[in-house]
Amino acid sequence: MTDRTDSTAEPPTPDTDRDAVFERDVLAALPAVARFARSLTRDAAAADDLVQDTFLLAYRFHHTFHAGEDVLRWLFTICRRAWMRDSMRNQRMVTTEDGTDAELDTLAAVYGHAAAKRAGEDALFERLDLAPAIETALGELPAPFRVAVGLVDVEGFSYDDAAAMEGVPVGTIRSRLFRGRRLLQERLLDFARDAGYSTAHPALTPIAPRTTITPRRQPRRAATGTPRTDQTDD
Amino acid sequence: MTDHDTLTPATIDCETAVRRLWDYLDAELDAVRSAEVAAHLETCLLCPPHYTFARQMLDALEASRREPDGIASLRLRVIAALHASGFRGGSAR
Repeated sequence: MTDRTDSTAEPPTPDTDRDAVFERDVLAALPAVARFARSLTRDAAAADDLVQDTFLLAYRFHHTFHAGEDVLRWLFTICRRAWMRDSMRNQRMVTTEDGTDAELDTLAAVYGHAAAKRAGEDALFERLDLAPAIETALGELPAPFRVAVGLVDVEGFSYDDAAAMEGVPVGTIRSRLFRGRRLLQERLLDFARDAGYSTAHPALTPIAPRTTITPRRQPRRAATGTPRTDQTDD
Repeated sequence: MTDHDTLTPATIDCETAVRRLWDYLDAELDAVRSAEVAAHLETCLLCPPHYTFARQMLDALEASRREPDGIASLRLRVIAALHASGFRGGSAR
């Protein structure tokens, strides 16, 4: 029998190695998972329960995670599925019909902006602190739209990643996203009006100098092979 | 939008440009369609304000991302639950 002089020092084992990797790679993502859980539940206590469930499931199934994968995408998928399971169990899930034409929502948002511009109400993002209004407006969105906006606009995932996490086609996530954005825009403009905001003489507002408007990320490569069927504008 | 098309000598018209608005800002268009939008925005007098407004809203949404309150205590709680499942790590940072 080996005489161990230091009873507190444990030799490395596969389990402790695995736990060190889990702590470094998975547990470090807790703040992002907590933010996503709160966007799902809109309730701090329920979100904390969901975060705990998510990490217990992640620990249990950590062997299914492959090095090099996107750990946030993996965790958000677990979190979302756990939330769906709990929501179904508690029958709190309210299903909402998806938007049927994403581009109609885009056009509606543009027309909404045009009307706000005519009324001198369109500089709200430059002149108002909208952080509280954004939080409230996001919380009031129906869940499918809130989740799509949260994944793409707040967390920065691509449509493809968000669709994979939600387990729906890309066209569905795009419809939900665009509907959610249109509703958010309407609510933020309502907030600006309720706050008494408008430029006094919109016709006299100086024209802003022209600036180059670029995408937020690099555009996709030129289409080869099968085109996306959800781009129907041509 | 169509009444303004004659003002924009571009490959695509204004309606096509605004239909592509969010796809363009999200970089979800292929490179050819994205370039068509960019060229349109260089010459059109009417569409850029719509794009600027949409971009401002998306930037505001992105800026709303922040760490939720109570993360430190939540981390301790999660680690305690993990310990009950056999987890041996978890410093109390």
